[in-house]
Amino acid sequence: MKGLQKLIFLSLLVSIGLALGIIESMMPVPFVAPGAKLGLSNMVILITLALFGFREAMTVGVLKSIVFTLVVGSVSSLFYSLSGSILSCFTMYIVYKYFSKTFSLIGVSIFGAVAHNFAQVLVASIMMNNIRIFSYLPILLLISLFTGYFVGLTSKFAIKNLKKTFKTIFF
Amino acid sequence: MLTKGDKYLIIFIIIISLLSLVFINKSALHYGKKYVSIQVDGEEFKRIIFDKTVIGKTIPIKTEFGYNLIEIGDEKVRVIEADCPDQLDVKQGYISKVGEVIVCLPNRLVIEIKGLDEKRDVDYISH
Repeated sequence: MKGLQKLIFLSLLVSIGLALGIIESMMPVPFVAPGAKLGLSNMVILITLALFGFREAMTVGVLKSIVFTLVVGSVSSLFYSLSGSILSCFTMYIVYKYFSKTFSLIGVSIFGAVAHNFAQVLVASIMMNNIRIFSYLPILLLISLFTGYFVGLTSKFAIKNLKKTFKTIFF
Repeated sequence: MLTKGDKYLIIFIIIISLLSLVFINKSALHYGKKYVSIQVDGEEFKRIIFDKTVIGKTIPIKTEFGYNLIEIGDEKVRVIEADCPDQLDVKQGYISKVGEVIVCLPNRLVIEIKGLDEKRDVDYISH
């Protein structure tokens, strides 16, 4: 794929991630645990990772976090968002690259969701100076199983169709 | 759809999180008298020991980070008003066990229930 087309597609992915993030923040989550989200924007990172590679996925993840902070407007959420997407991107890359025989995209996505939650709880406990915040982690992990499964399944279908489209248009 | 590795991963995570949930609940049972510790930006702002006389009291917390109104109940505590955009702390409702926390990230507020006869607090280790 040529540079310009790639640039346009990546920026499209960033804006899709942004839109998903905003929709997600409007949606009430039917769980008791605070801070639980569907992680829809993780889908964008996963799709980028599968279609392009690690560097592009990281770029999309970081850009999405920064733009999302500008939209939502609270600077403290930048740290949570950034740490979550960077760590989950790393984890998903490692799992996708080296363990793709053992884990399907659903497994990769669950790993990403777990890493995302872990990073956010870690940053929260550092910023709050209180290690008890980790008591949220087990509940968040259980929820991330379901959200990770959903995100993985959705990206699987999206990637299948996108690869087909790419072949007919660009190659 | 799911590979073998996926299934093992899911089972592993379920076991880990259930075990740690049980552990957290168990470690909360050892304490006798409880108190509420209200922390703003990592420092203790106020502590309230549960008592018959404080039931139904409301405590306004106004700091440079924001405003929250806390209500003390019978051995439990909740946030009833907050000026943060997401209102997660209000939605969480009451907490009553030792170790449970209400966190309001935008206002840097942590409300934690602690045990009085807790000999070694976590803070002793980290500072």
